[in-house]
Amino acid sequence: MSAHDNLGFAPKEDAPIPYMQRIRDYYLALGYPTPYRWAHYAEAPFQPLEKPLAQCRVALITTAAPYQPSKGDQGPGAPYNAAAKFYAVYSGESAVDHDLRISHLAIDRAHTTGEDANTWFPLAQLRRCAAVGRIGEVAPHFHGMPTNRSHRTTLEKDCPELLARCREDRVDAAILVAN
Amino acid sequence: MSLAARHLEENGIATLVMGCAKDVVEYCGVPRFLFSDFPLGNAAGRPKDPRSQAFTLELALRVLEAAPAPRTTVQSPLRWSADPSWKLDYSNIARLSEEEIRLRRDEFDRQKEIARRIREPPARAK
Repeated sequence: MSAHDNLGFAPKEDAPIPYMQRIRDYYLALGYPTPYRWAHYAEAPFQPLEKPLAQCRVALITTAAPYQPSKGDQGPGAPYNAAAKFYAVYSGESAVDHDLRISHLAIDRAHTTGEDANTWFPLAQLRRCAAVGRIGEVAPHFHGMPTNRSHRTTLEKDCPELLARCREDRVDAAILVAN
Repeated sequence: MSLAARHLEENGIATLVMGCAKDVVEYCGVPRFLFSDFPLGNAAGRPKDPRSQAFTLELALRVLEAAPAPRTTVQSPLRWSADPSWKLDYSNIARLSEEEIRLRRDEFDRQKEIARRIREPPARAK
C-alpha cells in the first residue's frame, strides 16, 4: 500500500487522454518518423457576445459528412473510411434533418460506434434551445468543415469559406463540434 | 475545428468548441472550449441519452455566454464510465502486438492513398 492510497485520489490514468503523445508514439511505431505538427498558438482571439444569447443567431459547425451510400461502410460501427472524406466546406438547411456520419474521422472505435448522431451533431437539441428561447434562433444553415491534413489548406481556403457562409447568414455565434 | 473557431472569432463571431481531445484543442488555443472526457466522437453527449445531450449543449451555451477570457476551458462533470480503463486503449502502441502494428501500417497506407485520390483527382486525359 502506497502513501497515497487512502487520500481519495483518482487512479493516475483517470485523466484526459494525452492524444498528442499517444498519436506521436503510435505513428512512430508504425514506421512514420516525421511527427505530425499540431496547430499551436501562444495567443487566442476573443469576441465577447454583444447581446444576450436569447437574441443571438447561432450556427452549428460540424466535421461530420453527409452519408453517401456509394462510399462504403459509414457505420454505425464502421472502420475508418477515407473514401467518405470531403475536401470542401458544405452547408445544409438547419430546419430539416440530415444523415451525417463520422466514419471518415479518427473516433474511438473501441469504445463508441457512431450510432447516435446527436452525440456529434446536436442540431435537434439546438433547435429545442431556440424553441424555448434559450437562444434567439438557429442560423438557417449549418456548415461542414473539412478535416484536411494540410493546415495551409484549412487556413487559406476552408476557414475563409466558412466565415463567408456564416456572414451570409449573419450569425452572432457559432458552436463547433469536433470529432 | 480549432483553427475555424479562431478564424470566426477573429472576424467578430463568438465561438465555442465542443470536443473530447483536451490537449489538442488547448495546444492550438481557442476562445471557449467545452471539454467532455468521453471517447472521441461524443463531444455532444452520451449516445442514446437525451438528458446527457441536453445537459452538454446547455453547458456549452453557458460557457459561450459567460467565458471571461480566451482559452476558457470548462470540463463537463459527466463521466463516460466509473471505470477509467477505456482511456488506455486509444492508439496505445503498448497494447498492440507486432502483427497488429503491421496490419495497421498496411491499412493506414491504403486509407491514405484513398484520401489522396479524392483530394487530387487525376487530370483529365487530353
